[in-house]
Amino acid sequence: MVENLTILVGVKQVPDDDEVDIDPDTGHLDRASAPAILNRPDRNALEAALELRDETGGEVLAISMGPPTATAVLEEAVAMGCDDGVLVTDRAFAGSDTWPTSLTLAAAADALGADVVLCGEETTDSSTGQVPPGIAAHLDWAQLTYVEALDVDHGADRLVARRDVEGGHEVVAADLPVVVAVAYGENEPRPASLHRKIYAENEFEPMEVSAADIGLDEDEVGIDASPTEVGGMETVDPVERERERVESTDELLDAIRETGVTT
Amino acid sequence: MSGEKAGAVDVDEFSDVWVFIEEHDGEVLSVSWELLAEARTLTDQTGEDLVALVIGDGVDDVAREAIERGADRALVADAPVFEPYRADPYGEQFRALVERRNPDIVLIGGTHTGRDFAGRVAVPAHAGLTADCTEIDVDEDGHLQARRPAFGGNVLATIVCEQHRPQMATIRPGVFEAADPDPDRTGEIEQVDVVVDDSETVTAVRERTVGDTADITEAERIVAVGAGCEGDLGPVEDLADALDAELAASRAVVDEGWVDGSRQVGQTGKTVRPELYVAVGISGAVQHVEGMNDSDVVVAINDDPNAPIFEHADYGIVGDLFEVCPDLAERIRAEGLAEVTG
Repeated sequence: MVENLTILVGVKQVPDDDEVDIDPDTGHLDRASAPAILNRPDRNALEAALELRDETGGEVLAISMGPPTATAVLEEAVAMGCDDGVLVTDRAFAGSDTWPTSLTLAAAADALGADVVLCGEETTDSSTGQVPPGIAAHLDWAQLTYVEALDVDHGADRLVARRDVEGGHEVVAADLPVVVAVAYGENEPRPASLHRKIYAENEFEPMEVSAADIGLDEDEVGIDASPTEVGGMETVDPVERERERVESTDELLDAIRETGVTT
Repeated sequence: MSGEKAGAVDVDEFSDVWVFIEEHDGEVLSVSWELLAEARTLTDQTGEDLVALVIGDGVDDVAREAIERGADRALVADAPVFEPYRADPYGEQFRALVERRNPDIVLIGGTHTGRDFAGRVAVPAHAGLTADCTEIDVDEDGHLQARRPAFGGNVLATIVCEQHRPQMATIRPGVFEAADPDPDRTGEIEQVDVVVDDSETVTAVRERTVGDTADITEAERIVAVGAGCEGDLGPVEDLADALDAELAASRAVVDEGWVDGSRQVGQTGKTVRPELYVAVGISGAVQHVEGMNDSDVVVAINDDPNAPIFEHADYGIVGDLFEVCPDLAERIRAEGLAEVTG
């Protein structure tokens, strides 16, 4: 029987990717101009976590690794229905790539006694999808990525996931504890209820956790423990296109013909 | 260069470029062959061996084909526990191989399976892993320069990994061209010790259904459908049929479940380079445009005259796709495909 689970949901505050401007002179991103929002795929992870709690009982904790401003996304998660929120914050985390990020979240999951860690498929600011399998690897847990639907097999003490694979899907059963990355857009995230929203905005304070609190040394995290670094950035020249408007399908066919596109 | 990092290694002790050959039931994904061809250009520069890493059950033929497509050697882990793919046994096997053989670079296709595998195995190796690359190169010191589009493709970021090995990257499918097999190529095929015991695995695949195995990266003509179809694919499929084109889709359409994810174009999908790309009901978000910008000729059909897709198209027609598509399909059929496409 699978019951009374401690379910952790990783959430991240990211710049709204629809609103990021690029300075035309320097080519650098003006990320400060973009509003900070909850990473959209994380909403699907939150919904899956709340559905899982409905099935098994237990509690759902939202967890975010970031600066104190990330409290805003924890508030949103609590308003959606999470029981509590954890802010993993420490100057030592600055510059972390996916290796120490997944180490940090794994250490927090361990310290909090999590049975399941749910994440979104990827974050929209870096689009790697590497953190969920990274957490599973650090903890030596099972992993289920690109999950479209999640069920509980009470008899086998397992979670069962329908995963999106190239050209189809597969159904995979995994022992607990497990890390689950939910495919983007695969469920309908519930809206915040009014009373949870009032609670989240007025009373909720996240539990704050530092590197030392979860047993990590400063040199195990952050840029000093990140194998990768950004070596350079260059703007990409836009591809030149004709940008010609045509008025009819006849004209369109003529235009295609003239390009000499051949079979 | 910064000081010594946690987990840093003596990089001189690592050599060779490995390519993970992704196969399911003996069928190899074309991205694996694409990586082998591109990695060949790297090893020709560095003088290292190009090694195909083949994990599966009954995969001798796959290993032979890897040699024919450019590998100097193949490492083969062959056992029933490796079919179908699961992250935990594949991860254990990879960990053992990396510890014993110290590869310098490991390249993996950026499919769901490839990303699931790469994210898992980079951790115990303390490897540097870059996601979704579209260009790779090595500098004069042998460091991998892994380039990936960032921020909707407006920027190309170069990611380096100076102190850790292996240097790993997942590569977007369709970016590189596969080499044809050369039956005269020879290379060593080595069966490695299988270190995984099925009784120790923590996952089980209960069902696997793969129906749609279309490879849009190879298509000469593509008709791509966006959210504007509102779930009615009929007119777009009909146009694709008239043009003898593959159907592709934007992310919105895949997220709605209207079209399978293997046909998704753009960031987190595939890069395509057809001769003709017809974008139907696609608004033209940068994340989509990034995956189709290498098309020779782009045609846009959209009812919104201000849709950004028109900025990225050679020819645009403002109109209702439910009228334009059937009309266009009818004209193409009436005049013949060869007529239209020259």
